[in-house]
Amino acid sequence: MKSFFTVFSKEIISFMRSIPLVAVILYSFTADIYIAGAGMQIKPRNVVIGYVDNSGGGLSQKILSHFHQPEFVTPKPYLSQKALSRAIFNKEVLVGLIFNSDFEKKYKKHEDTQLDVLIDATAASQSLTTLAYLHNIILDFEKVDIPLKLQSHKLFNQNADNHSFMALTELLSMITLLSVILTAIVFVKEKEDGTWDLMLLMPVNPKIIILAKSASQVFIVTAGVVLALGFVILTTFNTPLNGSFWSFMLLTLLYGFSSAGIGLFVAAISKDVMQVAQLSIVIMMPLIFLSGAWTPIYAMSPVFQKLSLISPLRYYIEGSESIFYRGTAFVDLLPYFGGVTLLGVLLYWYGFRKIGRLF
Amino acid sequence: MADLEVSNLSVHYKKLTATHSVSLSANSGDIIGFIGADGAGKSSLMHAIAGVIHFEGTVSYKGYTYHSPQECEKIKPEISLMPQGIGLVLYDTLSVEEHLEFFADIRDIKQDEKFLAYKEKLLHMSGLSEFTKRLAGNLSGGMMQKLSLICALLHRPKLLILDEPTTGVDPLSRLELWDILDAIRKEEGTIALVSTAYMQEAAKMDKILLFDEGKIIAQGSNAELIDSIRPFTYQALKEYREDVITFDKRSYSLAPLQAQVAEPTLEGLFFINALKNNKTLPPVEIGDKEQQESVPPVIMQAKGLTKYFGDFIADDHIDIELKSAEILGLLGANGAGKTTFIKMLLGLYKIDEGSLSLLGKDIKSADDRLELKSKIGYVSQHFALYNDMTVRENLIYFANMHKIPLDKALQRIKKYAYELGFAPYMDKFPTELPLGVNQRFSIAAALLHEPLVLFLDEPTSGVDTIARAQFWQILHKLKEKWGISILITTHYMSEAEYCDRVVLLKRGKKIADDTVANLYKAHPDAKSFEDIFLSYFEAQI
Amino acid sequence: MRINIIKAYMLKEFKELVRTRLIVMVYLLPSMILILFGYGIRMDVSHARLIIIDNDQSKLSQTLSSKFEHTKYFDTVERHMSETQALREIKQAKKDAILIIPSSFEKNLLKGEKSELGIFIDAAFPTRGTTIETYIQGTILSMAKEVLAKKGVAQKGMITINSRSLFNQAMRDEDAIVPGLIGLVLLIAPAILAALLIVKEKEKGTIFNFYASPLSKNEFLAAKLLPAFLLHSLNIFILFLLSVYLFEVPFRGSFFLYWLASELYILVSLSLGMFISVITKRQIVAVVLTVIITLIPGFLYSGIIMPISSMDGASQIEAHLFPIMYYNHIIYDTFLIGEGFASQKNLLYLGILLLFTLVLFSVGKLLLKKEMK
Repeated sequence: MKSFFTVFSKEIISFMRSIPLVAVILYSFTADIYIAGAGMQIKPRNVVIGYVDNSGGGLSQKILSHFHQPEFVTPKPYLSQKALSRAIFNKEVLVGLIFNSDFEKKYKKHEDTQLDVLIDATAASQSLTTLAYLHNIILDFEKVDIPLKLQSHKLFNQNADNHSFMALTELLSMITLLSVILTAIVFVKEKEDGTWDLMLLMPVNPKIIILAKSASQVFIVTAGVVLALGFVILTTFNTPLNGSFWSFMLLTLLYGFSSAGIGLFVAAISKDVMQVAQLSIVIMMPLIFLSGAWTPIYAMSPVFQKLSLISPLRYYIEGSESIFYRGTAFVDLLPYFGGVTLLGVLLYWYGFRKIGRLF
Repeated sequence: MADLEVSNLSVHYKKLTATHSVSLSANSGDIIGFIGADGAGKSSLMHAIAGVIHFEGTVSYKGYTYHSPQECEKIKPEISLMPQGIGLVLYDTLSVEEHLEFFADIRDIKQDEKFLAYKEKLLHMSGLSEFTKRLAGNLSGGMMQKLSLICALLHRPKLLILDEPTTGVDPLSRLELWDILDAIRKEEGTIALVSTAYMQEAAKMDKILLFDEGKIIAQGSNAELIDSIRPFTYQALKEYREDVITFDKRSYSLAPLQAQVAEPTLEGLFFINALKNNKTLPPVEIGDKEQQESVPPVIMQAKGLTKYFGDFIADDHIDIELKSAEILGLLGANGAGKTTFIKMLLGLYKIDEGSLSLLGKDIKSADDRLELKSKIGYVSQHFALYNDMTVRENLIYFANMHKIPLDKALQRIKKYAYELGFAPYMDKFPTELPLGVNQRFSIAAALLHEPLVLFLDEPTSGVDTIARAQFWQILHKLKEKWGISILITTHYMSEAEYCDRVVLLKRGKKIADDTVANLYKAHPDAKSFEDIFLSYFEAQI
Repeated sequence: MRINIIKAYMLKEFKELVRTRLIVMVYLLPSMILILFGYGIRMDVSHARLIIIDNDQSKLSQTLSSKFEHTKYFDTVERHMSETQALREIKQAKKDAILIIPSSFEKNLLKGEKSELGIFIDAAFPTRGTTIETYIQGTILSMAKEVLAKKGVAQKGMITINSRSLFNQAMRDEDAIVPGLIGLVLLIAPAILAALLIVKEKEKGTIFNFYASPLSKNEFLAAKLLPAFLLHSLNIFILFLLSVYLFEVPFRGSFFLYWLASELYILVSLSLGMFISVITKRQIVAVVLTVIITLIPGFLYSGIIMPISSMDGASQIEAHLFPIMYYNHIIYDTFLIGEGFASQKNLLYLGILLLFTLVLFSVGKLLLKKEMK
């Protein structure tokens, strides 16, 4: 146990000595997450609407007045449909509305009226949401008397606050990225400098050295997580924490080890820092993008769904979202703990065999 | 005016001045040797003359004067620079042949018959003719250096600048390198500036410049320099005196001594200079071991040890025995299998064939090594230390890993720091220290747990003369006081003579194993150990 | 500039790229990013897992259920369970939404009396949550409208929205995302390669061969950048084929414009990489710096996540300082719109890309010193 702390504290000292590295970690767990949370927006915002009004005003202007900040910029008038199309082609306008000359007339006569809408579908998600919005405005406007009451509950995140969600996703990706890279680098640096040979010759079980070294990096990352939770996630973005804080920390710790295991694996099969960088990119990109952070697992193609089973990040993301938003009970979290732990154990087993022994 | 005139040249690195207002001159066909400790300013001067670093002062070459790298561009076709570092300018994944083509192409040499003949000659002289298809990354250190040298010679430079071209190179390759150099300067009238850590080599140069702290403090031919220190060189004194440095059969003193004079060597230059700077070489005192253990008479017994790398046999059925309290030198050309052998002993490489017993215990698997770990010390080729921790922290870390109680560890560290002479550097980082200091503190790290046996892999490469002298004093004291056994590899043939017994490896096979005295007896013509070494290697190439 | 010297140097670069297997990264990385992002990012919602608890079991409630079953947006199961049980499934992240149809749904609706439908949505991922909500509400309301219209309950004329999606009629996510990814990929990959090529020599020490030889700065840069340029030029075609055949994105514009803009854009990326490798000393730093500079802003300003026109003032300006916006405009044009050279904006943007190349290259060259630091 003493050897464990010797190695552990030595790694922490080394880390603290590298001021640029400390700066990068601090940045990653504070400013970077803040930027991601504040800056990434998938909801429509400032959507530019253009319109051609041949109907003479009145009704058309009433409809247009429903488009307002922050979702929409005040609609811009265009003289002809051609001018409007040109604006859409040049990406100056995302959605175009065309009020035909008989638009108001027909409506007042209680005839069926048509409103033409042009959409730049290259920005599919904004366009779709804008269209849905438009539907709602029109429905609202018509005040059709449907005897239905839709009692809608958005669970766990009533305000559909995107900022907190993006910040959390970024935090989870950051944990992965840093645990893998930091761990891989501490091992490969020893290999490159030749100190690893000396460590193997010490009268200490190499497994303990490996565990202590990775534990130190997991500790650094965990400290970063606490920082991020305290300064950004729970405070600035007011992310709800519906589940238990300690469940999250435990899951993070297990996941930290699991991804440190990936780092160990990467270090074990690479010769130098450069190879570590290349391999990490190749391994981590699929890991992050197939984790369900961007697209839920069930919406992916079946092959990717199967592949995602071996990604510890998959369990971590689903588990963390459950803890933060869904407030899931501990029993229901067990599969996530299990998945993360199992993958971690396998990776360490490989690492021990590959670099943790003498002949 | 000489062909090459350097006047008042200074080079600054950040805040440090590497070279202080140095002047020198040389004529066609001259070989000028640069010698001096690490960081004495040799490399900086070479970089400045080659026009790859900003400098103050002037260099004029055959009437053309330049003050900056930009102005030097004009004569770069005439210049060749081989910077310090084994294989530094080579591309690992290109073959020997491809290197020659590449260097010819970027120098825009017409590949006519005359050039091809010259290229063949260079290949032949360097002994690389058979290896033209081999990738540079797979060459041994000596071959890399030779390849770098012939690449530098390809465009027939008139000004050749070679920065330690022979460091880490085995004696045989060194000799070949020298032959190439000597032939070229005669044929091409090339001016060669060469820095070296081997004094036998420096002795062959036309003029030698001794550098210290960025200045040239002595210069002249070998004979002139030796004459200059003759008055201060005596036969070794028995007892220690503060104003006298004694090393390897000679004592040096500025004040006259009541002792027999001795014929000086170039190495003496360093000791005399140290004395002039009021530096002395205090004798190494090693305290007794804290715990005494009984030691088996045979420390290490290797029988038929063999290692394959693919089809290549790195070590071919080697039998070596290391006895108690013995210093065994393991010598051989680059790539002869020395490092591989040591790594097998330590368990860092798998033993493919053969049997090994360490400290009387047969090694069958890694488990057999567990209890031996605390009895073995190891220093690797590159003094593997943690560069982000101070000397003190490094040592405490190693002590902790060896499970030495802290108070005891601190005591030992303090003792070693004093005994091995790195006490003033305890709170510095390894990267800030001269190689010689790093080397001694690596030894300290390997001694903390008071091992019974030390394995040292080229601990002296690139280390300057004085530091090496101190290093060997330490080893001998350790043997004397602790009865420690040492297995050491080196490329300095003079160091072989400090060993009790030497083993010569050649292409993975053992070709000699005897005491130094016996080897001298077997080779009555040999003037130095280098001659004996060469006789084994030149015999059947 | 001596052509044969550059040729010789380039040959060496190619050999090294092949033998160090860096070439694998040159071709693996772009295609991998395209495929992963192309398949891995879905902005629209499909196959949302919906539980319908039908307490009515009437004809009308069955009709409503079948409406949900016959859309790609939902994977529906009908269950008899309590609200609490269903909520637990959401908590376990097994389901995304619940729709509860009350027992007197048909009766009330036909009578014109209010009935209340309960909808529960997992809004942990807020955008998805909102979209699912809109879909559910839309489906119910449109069905109700239909039923009521048949019964002649609705009297007023209605406004129907006749929407025409330009460029991407099917509203496929692939069409919207994949062309934008090309801009991201061709920004990152050539920059990393260019950054490595120079800094690698610095770290290894072979840079002395340049310092100490009569090779000029232009020759050196040409020898370094041309191989990267040629190798990545092939990626232009590979990415095109992947987009058109694997992701089945339509290609409506001028291939020549696509090619020209891409080559120019690769030059921008290479110049950026070169600039980075000139100011750094170690490979790892160069790689990390390149990734930071290219990946995040590249993704943000690619137009994949949100259109530049919808950005705030500051982001709007930042987007304009970044080359990807200009390139992606042209790329979306060539794939989905097809204006080609007729569009002045395309021409202007081509010019801006050229300007980027010139500025970055000149600054990089200026900072590249043929001497040690």
